Amino acid sequence: MALIVQTINLQKTYMLGKVPVNALRGVNLEVESGDFVAVVGPSGSGKSTLLNLIGALDKPTEGKVIIDGVDVSTLNEDELAELRRRVGFVFQFFNLIPRLTASENVELPLAIAGVKKRQRKEKTADLLKAVGLSERAGHNPTELSGGEQQRVAIARALANNPRFLLLDEPTGNIDSKTADILISLLKRLNEERGVTIIMITHDPNIARQAKHIVHILDGRIVDDASSMGGGS
Amino acid sequence: MDIVDTFSYAWGGIKLRKLRAALTTLGIVIGIAAIVALLSLGEGFRIVITSQFERGFALDVLTVTAGRGLLANIISGSGSEEYLTLNDTYTIDEIAGVRQATATLSKSIGLSIGNKTYTVTVVGINFTEYSTIYSTSFLLENDSIPLNPSNDSIILGYRLHDPWKNGTILVRVGDYINLTWTTGSITKPIVKRYTFHVAGVLKEIGGISIFGPSDIQAYIPITTAQEIFETDQVSQIQVQLVSSEQRTIDSVTDSIKNIYGDKVTVVSPSAMLNAFSSILSTVQLLLAGLAGISLLVAGIGIMNIMIVSVIERTREIGILKSLGMKNKTVMIIFLCEAALIGLVGAAIGIVFGLGLSNFVTNFVFPLIGNGTNQSNGQGNRVVSNITPVLTPTVCIGAFFFGIATSVLFALYPAWRASKLKPVEALRYE
Repeated sequence: MALIVQTINLQKTYMLGKVPVNALRGVNLEVESGDFVAVVGPSGSGKSTLLNLIGALDKPTEGKVIIDGVDVSTLNEDELAELRRRVGFVFQFFNLIPRLTASENVELPLAIAGVKKRQRKEKTADLLKAVGLSERAGHNPTELSGGEQQRVAIARALANNPRFLLLDEPTGNIDSKTADILISLLKRLNEERGVTIIMITHDPNIARQAKHIVHILDGRIVDDASSMGGGS
Repeated sequence: MDIVDTFSYAWGGIKLRKLRAALTTLGIVIGIAAIVALLSLGEGFRIVITSQFERGFALDVLTVTAGRGLLANIISGSGSEEYLTLNDTYTIDEIAGVRQATATLSKSIGLSIGNKTYTVTVVGINFTEYSTIYSTSFLLENDSIPLNPSNDSIILGYRLHDPWKNGTILVRVGDYINLTWTTGSITKPIVKRYTFHVAGVLKEIGGISIFGPSDIQAYIPITTAQEIFETDQVSQIQVQLVSSEQRTIDSVTDSIKNIYGDKVTVVSPSAMLNAFSSILSTVQLLLAGLAGISLLVAGIGIMNIMIVSVIERTREIGILKSLGMKNKTVMIIFLCEAALIGLVGAAIGIVFGLGLSNFVTNFVFPLIGNGTNQSNGQGNRVVSNITPVLTPTVCIGAFFFGIATSVLFALYPAWRASKLKPVEALRYE
């Protein structure tokens, strides 16, 4: 299995006012293509920071993020933007654009990537069908339930056939029943389409559904259950 | 992201805040409308003025005045020490390219009709020479110009005969009128009166005249004029050329300059027209510049609103970036929003501006023109004849200027939007 994400001694220090906060203190993580990794840990442990770094939304203070064999720190702004097109992000608060309909939200990353209109329409319809929201395509996010919004967000994240999905507490704002549907959707995507998934959660029940679990505490990986998959 | 997608995304952003967008657009509308209205009125004014001048002008006549010209004399504060006399006419007559030269002497003088006195310009002329040079405009109503006038003959411009153009005739051919010439010092004025016999009334010329015959002047023999004004000087020498070609104008001008040096100023009607036209253009530009201030204010309004908009949409910008949008695309989206506002504003502004200038010419100018002050008659006639003219250049220029202003002032907010860091933008509440 090919290594798709690799972090080497990843460190991130924030300035909270004048106090430096070490969010990450040397994280070494390896994720292979087709894996489904759950990152668990308490609030403030550095999970989201790790995800933002892997998704090229932020820059590390020390260490490296290597995606598909490319050191992210060597990329310029435009190259980073292009890299993000190959990463599917799903946020805890959905982050859909309120004035666009569900299908327009899914279409947006395709438009950004310069896909032709007709192909975009086809792809969007496929994706909404895959997440079971074909009938809700014309609705705005405010007219959708939390679970539905999150499924739109997943469809959007999948639009550009990303190398992997990054999910930041995707079930954090939806009820447990909807969460179950969501997780089974993710599992299906992982198994049937071979989509690599890295998901943050603090819910042990959700985490158990993943192939591997990574525990983070105080900016360090404390128990990498993915070791059987060949992790650090 | 292609251009269509970018514009449609930008349009979505504008639609989100309709009232705000409308008010921002209004700023551009006002600015462009002001510019268009002033420029089209100015252009209309210019056309009226030039056509009026052209009517009173003979293009093949040069005017020679003593000194460095009227303007230079005003600036230097002293009257010219140089002067021209009747003899200079003969000198100029000898120059190749000159058909005929004639001298004129003009003064402001009191003209008494009945018990009222009007101040008019009386011009001393040689009737024969003058009527030859201005053969198309120096014509009597229903007679020919007397070639051997008696010393007390006077010919009146049409508006001295019929000032209100309603048949109220002030003075007729054959009447006797009094001219009052005041001389001496201010403290001890000496008033002299002369009686003249009206030998004719000129046909209406129309237009505005600077050097040629005019509707509001009176003409007497130059010898009489020199007697009355106790001088051997003349005000101007009108030089008729063999042709109105620029080559002839230039060569005669050079010859006169060779003889007199800097002691005289030679003005050709075409040069005069050009100078006048360029002054009007400058004034027009100045007016447009003033209107431009309102556009500047509109631009600042756009900048202000865009900064607020960028702050409000920080999270959206974060989302776009997380989806792989490049910085320059983010910038272009905001510039497109501004361009759309500018486009709509400029288009409406041009229509409004044209409407405004038509309103002014149809409803405001007639109010000014209705004043029955006959001494100001010419000016009123000019004002009421103006039709706003919107040239394609002004139209297209205003259109692009409106868009350019919007885009220019959106540059900074758009740049700020493009520089937002994705993580921080996404975290923004």
